[in-house]
Amino acid sequence: MSAVEGRALYKAYGDLVAVDHIDFDVPERECFGFLGPNGAGKTTTMKMIYGLAHVDGGELRVLGLDARTQRRAVKSRLGVVPQEANLDWDLTVRENLVQQALYHGVNADGRIDELLELAQLSARTQSKPRELSGGMQKRLLIARALINNPDLIVLDEPTTGLDPQARLAVWDLLEGLKGQGVTLILTTHYMEEAERICDRLVIMDHAKIVESGTPGELLERFGQPNLEGVFIEITGRGLRE
Amino acid sequence: MRLALPNPKMAWRVWRRDLRVFSYLWKGALLPTFLDPVVYLLAMGFGLGTYLASVNGIPYKDFIASGLVASAAMWATVFETTYNVHFRMTEYRLYDNMLSTPVEVEDLVAGEMAWACTRAVIYGTAFLLVVLIFGLIDSPWAVLTPAFLVLGSACFAAIGLSFTAIVGKVDYFTYYYTLFVTPMFLFSGIFYPLDRLPDWTHVVAWFTPLYHLVRITRGLILGPDALSVIGNSAWLLVVTSALFIVPVIFMRRRLVA
Repeated sequence: MSAVEGRALYKAYGDLVAVDHIDFDVPERECFGFLGPNGAGKTTTMKMIYGLAHVDGGELRVLGLDARTQRRAVKSRLGVVPQEANLDWDLTVRENLVQQALYHGVNADGRIDELLELAQLSARTQSKPRELSGGMQKRLLIARALINNPDLIVLDEPTTGLDPQARLAVWDLLEGLKGQGVTLILTTHYMEEAERICDRLVIMDHAKIVESGTPGELLERFGQPNLEGVFIEITGRGLRE
Repeated sequence: MRLALPNPKMAWRVWRRDLRVFSYLWKGALLPTFLDPVVYLLAMGFGLGTYLASVNGIPYKDFIASGLVASAAMWATVFETTYNVHFRMTEYRLYDNMLSTPVEVEDLVAGEMAWACTRAVIYGTAFLLVVLIFGLIDSPWAVLTPAFLVLGSACFAAIGLSFTAIVGKVDYFTYYYTLFVTPMFLFSGIFYPLDRLPDWTHVVAWFTPLYHLVRITRGLILGPDALSVIGNSAWLLVVTSALFIVPVIFMRRRLVA
């Protein structure tokens, strides 16, 4: 069974088609990447998976459940790392996790220390999120997404805006999770990131999936030395702003 | 569109978050909002009250104090559901996170309404104690006041949350205050009875929740006037139940694309 299954998935905001009948299958226990230029429809696809955007057309099954009608059930088995750090700034690092456990209705007493350690935040449990660096905030977001022991974690641009060391720390964290058998879906426009941690990926452009495969398959298909070349080959050189 | 009743357990989780934050902020936050009705009581009750001994046979200080208990609760709810909710929703994007857990929009709205009511009860009851200290409580029924403040502030909360969800911009909040809350505050019968005003003012006032809450607090504190308390409570109950769906619809429109 696939962790996520999209069939003719469609979403429009008024006249603007954000996701145009895309089909994809995310295998369990893999890291699946959505690549594409800004505005390609990656974030909208993520939001449909985690329930912040309505599915306008087609089918979307997440962990075997219908994302439209079984939202509560889907969300209880999901971890979400959004693009912007929507942490609870009035609470401490630890309380952010305590409160997240409460939203999920899970008992996380023993788990919180474990997660803080995993995110290398054990020394900062009493800090407010504002006092943390961007990399620490991102790691806290990842720890928060793990509070309910999710089967699937959705990460929207997990390393955008981070310096190289912070990015490496996030990659290590994600690779560790993959090793534990968690399914990961992430969006990125860093080809290096996709090459390093994604087992399989799709490239989106203008609301459609234009290519898919493992990084190796794509390199071979386009005869390029790296994904950067594949990406430019597919999406062109023009600016999209 | 899916319309569902809130799940009380989920709503409680949202409420619990606000309480957690309030436990840090209450010392700083409590005082200004709490002083507001005290200032009104001193300026109007003891100031104007020197010239105006009684209203419909009730000492003016008593008359105004019993009404200000209602407005203390209202102002607490209004601030909570406009500025505070706006910051959680738009600046901090906390609701995006809540909604990516099993919490749904209707739970979120119910939880925030419950929290706004909690705050209203805290402020209203604190002011009620001031009224007690000034010796302006005439009836033991006054002890029931906090329960009825919940009813009134649930109505203010439904309206405030709807407004905040609809406008989405902090710059427009003054419209809400200037065109709705302040006129309601001044024409709700807190400062003078509406009896001798033209009939249409009664009709307008009847459609505002504060008018009914003032009748209730006055009925409890100066009464007891059971009939008035029951009648006005029924109004608030019906209107609030009917209104609940409005913030749910507009919050969903704003938060779930």
